[in-house]
Amino acid sequence: MKRIFYTILFLGVAAITVLWFTYKHENPKNQPLRFVSLAWQEATIATNKSIVAEWNNAHPDLKVEYIQGTWNAAHDYLITAFETGDVPDIFHYESSVIIDYAMRGYLRDLSPYISSEMKNDILDVAWATVTRPNGEVEGIPFLIESLVVIYNKSLFREAGITPPDINHPWTWDDLREAAKKLTKDIDKDGVIDQYGVGIGLRNSANIIMNTSISFGGSFFRKEGNSFVVKVQDEEKKLLQTIMDMIYKDKTVAPSSIGETGAGMIPGFFSNKYAMLVGIGAWGRQQIVEYAPKKFTWGVMPPLKAKTQIYGASTQTLSIPKESKRANDAMKFIDFMLNTNNMGLIALNDWMIPTRKSCLSMPEFQNSIGGWDITCSAVSTLGVGSWLGAPGYVEWKSRVANPVLQELFAGRMTVDEAAKRIEHESNIVLSRYKKRGEVW
Amino acid sequence: MKKRFPYFKIAIHGLIILYVVFLLFPLVWVLASSFKPTPEIYSGSPTILPRHITLEHYLSVINGQLLFRSMWNSIIVGIMSTILVVLVAVPSAYAMVRYKSFINNAILGWILVSQIFPVILVMIPLYIVLRYIGLTDSLTGLTLIYIVWSLPFVLWMMHGYVKSIPFELEEAAVLDGASRTQVIFKVILPLLLPAIGACALFSFISAWNEFFFAFVLMKSPTLATLQVELARYTGMEGQARTGPLAAASIIATIPSIILFIIMRKWLTTGLVAGALKG
Repeated sequence: MKRIFYTILFLGVAAITVLWFTYKHENPKNQPLRFVSLAWQEATIATNKSIVAEWNNAHPDLKVEYIQGTWNAAHDYLITAFETGDVPDIFHYESSVIIDYAMRGYLRDLSPYISSEMKNDILDVAWATVTRPNGEVEGIPFLIESLVVIYNKSLFREAGITPPDINHPWTWDDLREAAKKLTKDIDKDGVIDQYGVGIGLRNSANIIMNTSISFGGSFFRKEGNSFVVKVQDEEKKLLQTIMDMIYKDKTVAPSSIGETGAGMIPGFFSNKYAMLVGIGAWGRQQIVEYAPKKFTWGVMPPLKAKTQIYGASTQTLSIPKESKRANDAMKFIDFMLNTNNMGLIALNDWMIPTRKSCLSMPEFQNSIGGWDITCSAVSTLGVGSWLGAPGYVEWKSRVANPVLQELFAGRMTVDEAAKRIEHESNIVLSRYKKRGEVW
Repeated sequence: MKKRFPYFKIAIHGLIILYVVFLLFPLVWVLASSFKPTPEIYSGSPTILPRHITLEHYLSVINGQLLFRSMWNSIIVGIMSTILVVLVAVPSAYAMVRYKSFINNAILGWILVSQIFPVILVMIPLYIVLRYIGLTDSLTGLTLIYIVWSLPFVLWMMHGYVKSIPFELEEAAVLDGASRTQVIFKVILPLLLPAIGACALFSFISAWNEFFFAFVLMKSPTLATLQVELARYTGMEGQARTGPLAAASIIATIPSIILFIIMRKWLTTGLVAGALKG
């Protein structure tokens, strides 16, 4: 009996002792600046860490602690931080989400802290993704997320198709014609083995919204002080074009409907799809790293509909309003996003840097990896009218993605999808209207 | 007597084999992916077994991020919370079963009700409380959260186990001259050991697999737990560093498999014991 008693006593005391020693006794002063990064590729993490290490070596009195975040849970992490006041001093996220945070009053206006050098060097379109109508700047944009079309050079050569160049972009009709030539039943068993196009349509709201601008649409329209969603002829034309390619031309692989852009890449390597349409520029990184030997590929300029203008969003660094050290945080951001460092980050993340000085570096004008065409697309980037629409992030996940999934799965017509999007949008947006948040 | 062909047995065994294959397939896939070179993982014609075996992902995981540190943190938090949960749950369950009072049912009801609150609902108030007492960004705070989180269910399980022990056993011990303490330590505790094992395993696995509290509460990179570290191999829009993620997942599974093998007997016995009514 004594043995059991002493065992229990020992375990209890041991557990409490260990807990006491793991308790973090620290002085709140002299804490480093906390920087939450969402970099996740091995090379980008290494670049971020080396930039932080370089800063820490040069600024022993103003150290930065690198905290590795994750895209999947970043929103919950940050909301908890904002609501409890225990915030990081700098955080990495994307423009479409920080707009929402800004409207809730979580972010510091960075406009007084931005140097004129940075202000002039970063592209206007990038600033437009983070600047409120009253001039407040909610984050420093450093990478542009843009959509590209990637094609298999060998399959194009076999089919005798000449890919477009920067001066002669394809229209959607050109794409459809090429896709028809590239769609083949190679072994003549009645089943298509090679599709002209693969599009990751699982969460297609981003692709559809950004592409709709080139069709003259935008889904969101401002009426007075509030936003309404309208699916008109321009938006319907884009949706109908994709539907026709899936069901009439049968040139879009049916597997596209349930896949993400990244999920299409293995099929691209095995010649199942001759082109990947609407994949993020980051997709090139996976193709470069993982493609089989002798696999040759290229990037096309943005497809032309009414115009060649596509919506862009940016990755950003922001400072929460609750951070007590905004000045110090901004000094670090200045360093982190100088021309050299931004160039390194963009190269390793395979995205477009926002500084003009970076874009003029030879690395971003190289045809290897499609950098030249990808970066030339900055002249065709625009900002969607949904910028600043309260509830846009929720609208994408609750309304647009599910309805578009049903549409592309063939469960409804374009007109039916348009009606549902308009009806369900008003339910979501009216809730935000009541909260009175204004961009 | 003519023996009938055991169709039924064959069907049952066939179904069990199918079920086992269904359960094992993801594990085999992850194991195989951890040994495949990256281009092979992204090949358009995937195979179950690797065509070429490489250790590059394991080396990348071992050299790269703080996997072993995070695993150590998870072990510390898991073991500490398990010990304290069991130490609180066993006497509480015994008291609730043997000392009947009108509040027992209310307590049991409250335990059930407490399970319906989603994590996100309690996260912010909990964080504020922990911050007030200086326990955010510390393994102590996380351990306390795990204790509070798994204690109700463990208490509920333990209540069932204690209830299944006949009171007559205690009466017999008392008649033989045993004191109350002797009854508890010499009669009840040995009978409860399988149940304690089951509860300990449940508590440990809950802590081991938990992600959200650990992610939000732990700010310092060196205090991250295993699940948080694993999540860092995933990126935006469904992308992931599949090879290193598979290798890290395999390494991460090893401690829980070892623990399960050690406690397997306790777990099965304990589950059965809890299911019986005294």
